[in-house]
Parts: sequence; structure tokens; C-alpha cells
Amino acid sequence: MDPLLLARLQFATTTSIHFLFVLVTLGLVTLLVYLQTAWFVTRKPVYERLTRFWGTFYLVNYALGITTGIVMEFQFGLNWSGLSRYVGNVFGAPLAIETLVAFFLESTLLGMWIFGWHRLRRGAHLALLYGVAITAYASAFWILVANAWLQHPVGYEERDGIAHLTDFGALLRNQTFGMAFGHVVSAALTTGGFLMAGIAAWQLIRRAPDYEAFRKSLRIGVVTASIGITLVMSFGFAQFGYLGDIQPTKFGDEADKAGAAADFAARFGGSTADYIPPSWVGAPLGFMILIAFALMWIWVFIPFFYRDWIIRLKVPLYLLLAAMPLPFVAAIFGWFFRELGRQPFVVYGLLRTEDAVTDTSGAVMLTSFVGFTVLLLGLAVADWVLLARVAHRGTADPALGRRPDEPLPAPADRPEPVLA
Amino acid sequence: MATIWYGLLGLFFAAYLVLGGYDYGSGLLLARARTSAERRAVLTAVGPFFLGNEVWLVAAAGILFGAFPMLEGELLSGLYPGVVLALAGVLVVTAGVQLRSRPAHARTAWDRAIIGGSALAALGWGAVLGGLLQGVPLHEDGHVEGVGHIFTPFAAASAVTLLTLVAVHGAAFLALRLGHAQIGRRLVPLAIAAVVATTVVGLLSPRVRDAVQRPAAAVPLLCLLVAALLVAGGALARGRPGVGFAATSLALVVPVALVGVATWPYALVSTVDPAASLTVAEAAASGPTLRLLSWLAVPLVPALLSFQVMSWWIFRGRIDGRAPVYW
Repeated sequence: MDPLLLARLQFATTTSIHFLFVLVTLGLVTLLVYLQTAWFVTRKPVYERLTRFWGTFYLVNYALGITTGIVMEFQFGLNWSGLSRYVGNVFGAPLAIETLVAFFLESTLLGMWIFGWHRLRRGAHLALLYGVAITAYASAFWILVANAWLQHPVGYEERDGIAHLTDFGALLRNQTFGMAFGHVVSAALTTGGFLMAGIAAWQLIRRAPDYEAFRKSLRIGVVTASIGITLVMSFGFAQFGYLGDIQPTKFGDEADKAGAAADFAARFGGSTADYIPPSWVGAPLGFMILIAFALMWIWVFIPFFYRDWIIRLKVPLYLLLAAMPLPFVAAIFGWFFRELGRQPFVVYGLLRTEDAVTDTSGAVMLTSFVGFTVLLLGLAVADWVLLARVAHRGTADPALGRRPDEPLPAPADRPEPVLA
Repeated sequence: MATIWYGLLGLFFAAYLVLGGYDYGSGLLLARARTSAERRAVLTAVGPFFLGNEVWLVAAAGILFGAFPMLEGELLSGLYPGVVLALAGVLVVTAGVQLRSRPAHARTAWDRAIIGGSALAALGWGAVLGGLLQGVPLHEDGHVEGVGHIFTPFAAASAVTLLTLVAVHGAAFLALRLGHAQIGRRLVPLAIAAVVATTVVGLLSPRVRDAVQRPAAAVPLLCLLVAALLVAGGALARGRPGVGFAATSLALVVPVALVGVATWPYALVSTVDPAASLTVAEAAASGPTLRLLSWLAVPLVPALLSFQVMSWWIFRGRIDGRAPVYW
């Protein structure tokens, strides 16, 4: 089989799986910061239960986030050695910074957070979670700096066919970076909000014992999702303003498209048709926008907080449960549009995808693709099953944050089910 | 500047082998733990450090990409099977340890996966180090021909050697944290035998003889490796797990130093065309990129290290009934 196609399929598969977990990590860590801060300030036990419950959920999700992330990082060298050879001087820098500034600290601090309950002072333990959240956002920041450079290369000069860094600041001021970063972060918040609201809705539908905790989760989730979806749409539509100018073959009008394609054909060879992305590339964009408009309706639920109508009417709970997968689908569609739309370039207007792929046989690529896909999908499915179990189990005594010397709490300590 | 960054790359990868090494060593020794409680004790010993150990690999790969982009593409794609093997192991261990108790339905299956993953990771990185010492068929245009070149007795011997080193290291770590040192003592002779066997296979292999540029520097390092293992064996036998752990840690740093020093000034030696071999200076990123990364590294590396030291300090010492259990 064609190594180029296999390498692209492998990248698409790994990235998509990775991003599903990243969305939850980034969204939930923000909500965890809120929950643990509330616990720190108010000392209310409900916030402790919520921090431990959502913390467990966050950690089970995080396990696959790292696992898939490691493959992502090595995949550049394994399958895309041309990328590091021709543009590594520029593209490698933000990735290197990401691993050192963000991921390294995120994981180290998280290890201390998990095992630091009852061993560290409450303030120090909370500070660790703030560190985890800040480094998680820093991680998204640097990865998107790198991705924005692939979309719209700036701050470099080409000597002997190799890109050299001239202005690092230009990478940070890159037009395709700022709005995209806002878009991705608010997408994560939206996903975190819908997830929290959806799981809380499930627990309230089945009349779980800990009514107080899930009522709170539902409210936090709905408010976060409402704000998130509004931001995500603003940052999304804001990108339409410049997209046609910097990526004419993706989003320009017909004349711009033809002009840019003719220019590329003259510079890189081949016919103009080779430089027009597939005609269906607008479809994922359309579906994403459709989902976003549907999710906007979540604002309608906020007035129903009054006297807990949102819970007592039941219908909103079922709707929230059904909406849970939609942000994930929309996010993947969004990436499809961003990444497929710039084909056949891996660095827009600078390096073609076919020139970046590793010169190896189809058999090696196929083995690697099938092997990693089976392994990652298997782990991902196992992780989703475990996440569902954690969500189903509810707030009763999670292992996270249990006192080592204390007997298990008696069931009578838990709130009784209270439902209309 | 490129030399400093090459040293930093070696440092991060060696730190990964030392820290990740005891994760995998402990993972291998899960096979020796009979009861569920014994296995939980092993994982609790690794506990707070687990997430902070693998990050050294990710950081090393980041440095490789940022500071040595040329080397990154050619090294990883040139040693494709070894890297893939190691990565598969790393992934399984990473996911397995974090998920085995969430909730505890399939713990035995996860534990088997952790044992297998630990073995794969150690074998894979051993094959990668061996592959670097025997060179790759690198051509002038920068592409490496095929993947069959890595399947040699020397690469296999290196893989097995790293497996034994990691196992000894894991045993020393568990002796330090849990207090029983029996297995480690019995593994030391095995590790020494593996090191000696690999050396002999290497001396017999013309590829390794050609690739090694500085045999005079390699010999003392090999002696240091054997000496470290002997010290570790003695210390574990005399109930001094701290010394034993320090010695096995050194034993995992030496292979990285050996590869770096023995092939110097090359980062990647070509077996087909001596002119195509990639020197460290050629492999490095261009001036502005290295300067940018250096400005960042000066405050950053001490900061990273201090957070790691903080974690080691908070959770230091032998674990007891009050240790937090999570994995």
C-alpha cells in the first residue's frame, strides 16, 4: 500500500483519539480547580466529594491522554522525518518548549496531587492543582503555536531548501494562532461542561443517593457549557475573517482558489487540480456549525434552575444526556476541516505532505498503522468503559483522596435520596 | 552549543532510563509477586513517582526534535522497529498502571499487560541503543534504507542486557522502598553475564567495530558498568539498598554515555557511506533555534529538576501502612 496514505491515516487516527481525551482533560481540570477552590474556601463536604469524584474521572481520562500523546510525539520522527529535516528548525522549537514547560511539569505536579491528599497542607495541595491546570493550558498554547505555523508559516527564511528561524515572536503573533487557541480552549470548556451536566443528569435520572452533589454538578455543567459554546462560536466565526486570505485554496472565493492553485503548480510542479483540496472538505465544517447551533439551546435551561425545574421536569435531563457526545463529534469535524483543507501541504505553501513522509516501505507503515491503531483503540475503548463505570458508581468513597488511616465511611453518612 | 545540547539530550534520556527503568523493573517483578496485596505494594512503592518518570522520555524526545531535528527524523525512522517496540511497551505500562484499579475488575489482566509492557519497553530501548552502536544504512540524501539492518545478534544482545539491567534496578528500588532484597542479589550475576556476552558479540561484529570511533573511551565505561553491578550486588547482599539503588542507577546511565562517547563526533553512524554519517554539529538545529532554546533552558531545567526533587522529598523513605494507595 501507499506509505503516504498509510502515514496520513495513522496520523489522523492517532490525533483524533488523542484529541477526544485532551478535550476532557482541559475542560475538566478547569472545573476541578473551581471545585477544589470552593472546598478550600467553604470547607463544605459536598465540594470534597465532588473534587474526589470528578478528580477520579479526570485521572482515568488523563491516562489515555498521555498514552496517545506519546505516540503523537514519536510519530513525527517515525513517519514524517521530512518534516523534521526541512522545517524542524522552526517547527521543533514550540514542540520542544511544550514538552519541557508544560507536559513535564503537568505530569510531575499531578503525581504529587494524587498522592498528596492528607500529606500536604490543604493550600499546597490546591496549589498543585492550579499548577496542573496552568501547565495543561500552556501545553495547548504551544501545540497550537506549532499547528498554526503549519497552517501559515511565518518568522522563517529558507536557505538551501531548509527553513531557519528568524523571528520567534512572529510565531506567537501568527494570525492563525490566537483565535484558534481561544477556539480550542473554549471547545474544551464546552465539552467539560456538557460532560459534567450529562453525567449529573444520568445520576439524577436514576435517583442516585448523592442528590446534593449531582444537583451542583448539573448547575456547574450547564453554566460552563453555556458560556463555553458561546465563546467557541465567537472564536470560530472570527476565523472566517482572515482564513480566505492566508489559505485561499481552503476558504477563498473561486478566483482566489484558482489563482493560488496556479501559483502552487508553477512553484511545486503538477497541475492546478492537485492543489485544490477535496470538494467535500466544507461538509465537516457545515456539520460542526450545525451541532454548535443546536448546542446553543442550552442557554434555555438556565431559567429552569428556578426551584430545580430542570431536574423535576426530567426532559432537560434526558436532553443533556443525549447531548453529551455532540461536542466530541463537532471537535473532530473541526479538525478535519482545518487539517484536510490545507492539503496537499503539510506546511501551507512551503512543504508538500508527500515530501515530508518517511521514505520507507508500505509494509512497515502498514504494520505500524495497524499495530498502533489496534493498541490505541483497544486502550481507548477500555478507558471509556472504565470512565462509564466511574461515572455510574457515583460519589461514594472513591480511592482518590481516601484517608489511609480512617475506616470506610458508614453508608448512613451519605445523604439520603431526595427527589421530587 | 550543540555539544551542550547533545549532553542535555543524553542526560534526559539517561534520567528516563534510571527513573522509567525502575517503573519497568518493578513492572517486571510484578511477575514474582504472588498475592494481590504484594502486587499492590509494588505499585504503591512506585506510586507518587510514576507520572513524573515517563515525562523524562517525552522531554528527551522534545529536545531531540527541537535541538536536533535532523537526527530526530533519521534516528527514529532509521531504528523504526526498535522504537515501535519500545513505544508499544511504554504505552501499555502507562495505561495499565493508571487504570488497573479504576475500578478493580480486571486487575490480573492489567497486571499481565504491565509485565509484558515493561519487558517490551526495556527490550525496545535496548535494541535502539544497540542499533545506534552498530550504525544504520544512512545515505547521503538522509534516508535510511530498509529496516532489516536492526535485526542482528548484537541488537538482540543489547536488548536482553537492558532488560536484565532494568530488572536489577527495579529490584534495588523495591528493596529501598519495601525492604526485601532477595531477588536483586540473584539477578546481578545474570546482568553481568549479559553485559559480558553483549561485549563479546559486539567485538565479533564488524559493524560495531567500524561504528565505534573511540574504543579507548568505551573500555573504561564498560568496566564502570560491571563495577557498578558488582557494588550493587554486594550492597543488596549486605542490606544497604540505598547504595545498591545508586549503583544500579549508575549502571543505567552508563549505556547512554557509552553510546554517546563511543560514536563521537557522530550522532548517527552510516554503515554504507562514511561520508553520510551525521555528526552532532550537523544534526543540531541552526543557531537562532539553539539560542532560543538555550535562553529557555537556563531557568527551566533547574526549575524542572526542583519540582522533581520536591516530589522525591515529599514521598521519600520506606513505605508503610500509611502510604497513600492509588494505583
